[in-house]
Amino acid sequence: MFVLPPPPRYPTGSGYPGNPGAGPIIETNNTLTHPTGPEHQLVVGEGTYVLRDELHLATPPPHPSEAPVHNPNPLATTISPPSAGTKLSLVVIAPRLQSSSRLYKLDTTNSSRSPIPPSIQESPHESNSQASDTASHAGNAVAFAPLNGLRVPVFGEGNTSLLVVNGKDSKDPLKRRKPKSNIIKSNSSFVSRVIPHEGISKRLQEHNPNGLFAFANVNRALQWLDLSSPTKEEHMTKILFTKAHALCHDVNQSTKGPSHIDIVMGFSTGDIIWYEPMSQKYVRINKNGVINASAVSEIRWLPNSENLFLASHMDGSLIVYDKEKEDAPFVAEDQAVSAEKESSKTSLTIKKSVNSKNQKTNPVAYWKVSNSKINAFSISPDARHMAVVSEDGSLGIIDFLKEQLLHLFTSYYGGFTCVTWSPDGRYFVTGGQDDLVSIWSLSDAALVARCQGHNSWVQAVAFDPWRCDERNYRIGSVGEDCRLLLWDFSVGMLHRPRAASVRNRNSVTSNTLRMQRTRTESSATRLRSNSNLTTATEAAEVDEDEIVHPVEPRARTPMLPPVMAKTVDDHPLCWLGFEEDCIIASCQSGHIKTWDRPKEGASSDDGATSMTSASNP
Amino acid sequence: MSSFFGRFKPGTGPASPASKDVPAKKDPNALQPTPLEKLLADAGPIREDGSDKFFGFENFGSTCYCNSIIQCLYYSVPFREQVISFPSRSPPEALERPANAPLPRLNTDTGSPPLANGQNSALSPKGRNSISSPVAAPRKSTSTPGALGAPPGTKPEDNKDSPEYKKKQAIAAGPVLTMDYENSHAYGMSESLFTAMKDIFEAVIVNKSRIGVVSPHKFLEILRRENEMFRTPMHQDAHEFLNLLLNEVVENVEQFSKHRITENGHAEPNGLATTSGAVVPQHSLQSNSTGWVHELFEGTLTSETRCLTCENTSQRDEAFLDLSVDLEQHTSVTSCLRKFSEEEMLCERNKFHCDNCGGLQEAEKRMKVKRLPKILALHLKRFKYTEDLQRLQKLFHRVVYPYYLRLFNTTDDAEDPDRLYELYAVVVHIGGGPYHGHYVSIIKTQDRGWLLFDDEMVEPVDKAYVRNFFGGENVLACAYVLFYQETTLEAMQKEQEAEEEAAAKKATVVPQEGVPASPIHKQNGNTNGHPLQTATTPSVEQEDHFASLNHAATAPPVPHSDHTALEHMVTSIPMLNSRKSNLQSLSKQEKADKVREEKERKAAEKELEKQAKQKRKEMEQKRRENYRKQEEDLRAALELSRASVVEDEKKRKVNPLTATLGESPDALPQLHVHKEKEKENGFTKGGLSRFRHTSMSLRGKPKFWPGNHKDKSEKAGVDESAVLQEGPHTPGEQMDGGTPAGTPDKGEKEKEKGKNRFSLGRKKSTFHL
Repeated sequence: MFVLPPPPRYPTGSGYPGNPGAGPIIETNNTLTHPTGPEHQLVVGEGTYVLRDELHLATPPPHPSEAPVHNPNPLATTISPPSAGTKLSLVVIAPRLQSSSRLYKLDTTNSSRSPIPPSIQESPHESNSQASDTASHAGNAVAFAPLNGLRVPVFGEGNTSLLVVNGKDSKDPLKRRKPKSNIIKSNSSFVSRVIPHEGISKRLQEHNPNGLFAFANVNRALQWLDLSSPTKEEHMTKILFTKAHALCHDVNQSTKGPSHIDIVMGFSTGDIIWYEPMSQKYVRINKNGVINASAVSEIRWLPNSENLFLASHMDGSLIVYDKEKEDAPFVAEDQAVSAEKESSKTSLTIKKSVNSKNQKTNPVAYWKVSNSKINAFSISPDARHMAVVSEDGSLGIIDFLKEQLLHLFTSYYGGFTCVTWSPDGRYFVTGGQDDLVSIWSLSDAALVARCQGHNSWVQAVAFDPWRCDERNYRIGSVGEDCRLLLWDFSVGMLHRPRAASVRNRNSVTSNTLRMQRTRTESSATRLRSNSNLTTATEAAEVDEDEIVHPVEPRARTPMLPPVMAKTVDDHPLCWLGFEEDCIIASCQSGHIKTWDRPKEGASSDDGATSMTSASNP
Repeated sequence: MSSFFGRFKPGTGPASPASKDVPAKKDPNALQPTPLEKLLADAGPIREDGSDKFFGFENFGSTCYCNSIIQCLYYSVPFREQVISFPSRSPPEALERPANAPLPRLNTDTGSPPLANGQNSALSPKGRNSISSPVAAPRKSTSTPGALGAPPGTKPEDNKDSPEYKKKQAIAAGPVLTMDYENSHAYGMSESLFTAMKDIFEAVIVNKSRIGVVSPHKFLEILRRENEMFRTPMHQDAHEFLNLLLNEVVENVEQFSKHRITENGHAEPNGLATTSGAVVPQHSLQSNSTGWVHELFEGTLTSETRCLTCENTSQRDEAFLDLSVDLEQHTSVTSCLRKFSEEEMLCERNKFHCDNCGGLQEAEKRMKVKRLPKILALHLKRFKYTEDLQRLQKLFHRVVYPYYLRLFNTTDDAEDPDRLYELYAVVVHIGGGPYHGHYVSIIKTQDRGWLLFDDEMVEPVDKAYVRNFFGGENVLACAYVLFYQETTLEAMQKEQEAEEEAAAKKATVVPQEGVPASPIHKQNGNTNGHPLQTATTPSVEQEDHFASLNHAATAPPVPHSDHTALEHMVTSIPMLNSRKSNLQSLSKQEKADKVREEKERKAAEKELEKQAKQKRKEMEQKRRENYRKQEEDLRAALELSRASVVEDEKKRKVNPLTATLGESPDALPQLHVHKEKEKENGFTKGGLSRFRHTSMSLRGKPKFWPGNHKDKSEKAGVDESAVLQEGPHTPGEQMDGGTPAGTPDKGEKEKEKGKNRFSLGRKKSTFHL
């Protein structure tokens, strides 16, 4: 039997031998600059955000075996594999209250500060009854009950065959299970090189537990960065993959610790890697696309889950994987598929349910949302809902605990590119190829406002949880127009055109709005939430009108202007994040910019928020 | 040679070892269907509406502007239907060319006046309906030596994927429809661009083959006869041509119906069977309405001007056939359209003549869409006059365009302001500047997905391919004209579902081979998908290639050399070894064949090399010539614009007020001066001829409307042009309009008044002087 020799591995720093001379040969280093001046500041009502620094991640040269074929024909029809601009996954090791978790745990129902009737739940009685209901179903479209004192629902907890996996680890929660293979010594041809920093252990010791670690992809590299380090341009570890690009990655916030970080990455080849940077161990999942061969567009750990994460593939599949499980070629499970024969757009095609008893191997669950490319998804803070956006302009709200599609919205036009939830889980916000940031309400299952201000497609949206309370929301967005826009969305203050109502809290207006859809949504949703025992298939038979929502005409939808718009880069931006002390944005070509929050003003604001949260332990 | 035409015959397979001559060894390759043929393999019977015909268009030296636009119009379904059914008569199948009518054969290549040709009989309907390769073949055989369309230095086998090679293949495969006849009499119309286009459409639809090549001789002849600016072999502006064509069609159609009414006196629209003597189809009522071009392409813009002195707002409606939008770096089409309708200050040199105050006042102006067209043609103004260089420059800005679109810039009272449009055609300009380059179009067909139409070549492409032409630094190929058509949400969803299903199907089949057993994935194409990497600065080699591309595509000198080179190429291209090993089983006999073939191949290669050398020399020569010519043109253009600047400044000094304001009465003589200047410089031809035409988008762009607005708006429509003539008048501004046009010739202007009244471009009221 002929065995292929392991691929050549190139010593660090010597560059690639035999490089034909095209492009840079030697790995270049990241650069850090400190541009100053008013053109690098973001001026908003609360103060001025000053650019702290700009980190430029070095784009690695192509792998020698994958030297780019230079095609001079501008009309060449070769399809290049999907790639993504630099995105960051941030993690702070110290166990701290995430601002977002603080907020969504805020008991707005009893908040004296809020003059608004307690949000979505029209009758407090109902919410109470649900609260006592062990949270297995808090009513789906009716907003989640405040999570204080509630057990957070866990995906697949009803399925005993899922629990078997890791009995021994649960005894010692501090000792996390590490992946199997060492990435530095790996022979895999998937990984090209791993370049740890020479002083990595020293740097790890020096790292402030409150400091920010970041994982950032650029081209075929993934870099682990210490953003709080004075030498933050020096990567902690850089992994170069042979060919595949990491398009997305996510850090498990519930397993992080001083000696442990779980990160999963999804690749352009469909592969997924679970990587633990402290021990430099990794495991490759969906190897060579054995379960699904299309690229991974978004990957997220399931909330409060140690092992399970969800990946969206570009063929329209959502797949739950277990980091501990082996791959097995996936065959759609019969009973599920036959039950859902018509793969209609109005329901989720469950190819493998989480409740399946066959849980020895990956995938844990396999859903087909549509055949269109999924561009992004986001899991709500109540750990129950999931918003999935696709290239075909559809936005699905899925109750992933029940594996059921609740709502299907359509963009104004063009595809959706990104989605995120408000910290309290009441709203979700999308960005798309119509240049709009759209705000949607979960409880009303309706479009709340469109935000117009980008000059090109929106690439990322994020809430600033430090500037959100129960009525006001700060949203940030970045786009292909190289601009960063901030929006202030206040529930009561919407500029509405014509007769259209926005404040759906008001039952009268919400009713008129619903009547336009010739159906009272509230009764419908309540009906559904009450019939909790209906199986997914039965629920899928519910009238399509309730699930599919029409496109709202412009004349009936409030239009929101940005509070700040600024060109912050020469390249299209692709990621945006808010941290307690800064705003971070990154662009297609690896520039990461950090702005410090305004010194005063912000502190008083933050004080107010933390006070509120303190009063609600 | 015979193997080419027999390439579709199933009999001549690679299995037959009787390869006695050189071409025979090509069979394994020749038998490989083109991607388009593969796509059409399972097609059923040919539909009668022409929606499943995929014909390339022959390029007669820089006529790609025409090819790309006609393709777009052909696949504009309602447009094609109207062209076919107007004027109403029998369906195209029944139309045989009147046997007795002598048909002049016209030679467009030389641009000489039409002359009767004895070959008429050969071009009889029979010849036209059958595979007309005999027409194509003789021309090929009068070939020049083995010209390879490839840049020197590349190996012939690399060429296999080159567009040049594919184009030759397409011509060789045929059928070639030589459109050098006209049927206008049968339509009861006089010869015009419309009838020539109709001839083309009908010939394509009637032809038994699904694929082929159209040689639009007649069409080009008429175009060149009637429009001086298209007479030169220079690179032309595709948008300009679209505009001209649409206006021409409007005019032809209107003229015809007027004529008919006066002729028949009492004639009702549907009582017109007289002209063709055929049965009037049922849908004649609709198709006989002459306004169908308007109905499809025309929208209405309302321009609101608020005088800042008296605060009076005046409104004016203007019709448009397409919208010309300014571009900015890193924007979207949505944003460009919004910018188009942004408020604009009319101040300083650009004041507004207010009727109310009676004088030039500062004013605010905005233009919004009041009536949305069924087909929205969007012209991205990629050619912009730059002050520093004093000439047009191509803007490579990255401008993204979505597959679906709605317009934000509608008036409040617009009907259906949320109308959904879908992208169905993109005209792409490839090249570094406005004076040279190549046009292709990418078009969504009814049920065959997106296709790339590059002159003779038609190739299926992925839907995502459409997004390759957003533009950007060092991206030579960028979208130039976008065609959006009205659609509904339901249609969109239905289509998306179908599309996705097809894609899913494909995905389930393809990955099997796409995922090899080895851990390294073999994927096609570019391995580093990172944008930075792909956007490398063009190397010398690239430029070199581009020069040849330019040459092959649009350079005029030897019109047919490209096609004639075919044989040499085909017969002598060495096969890729890997392919060979795939295709041939290793039986002994075949091995022997292989050896022999190898020998032959080598001999052929040598021969080829020789020829290639020769050719390369020639090409080099040509390219140099070409380059020199372009340089000259450029210099001339430069000189001219400099001269005009001087002239302009003089003017301004003489009459500061009017000159700065650019008011029309003074401007006309001034424009005239330009022309005289041209003549003085001796540049009446070539690159300068384009400058005699004002940009249509600009001409259609009213900025001042001295006099009574209400009056004018009432007349909006036919007489609009009179108003619209008062476009900008400084050269800088004209250039700013975005089309490579400059100073209008007065005479031409007069003549075209009626034609080019509809294209509206938004131009910021800034001066570039």
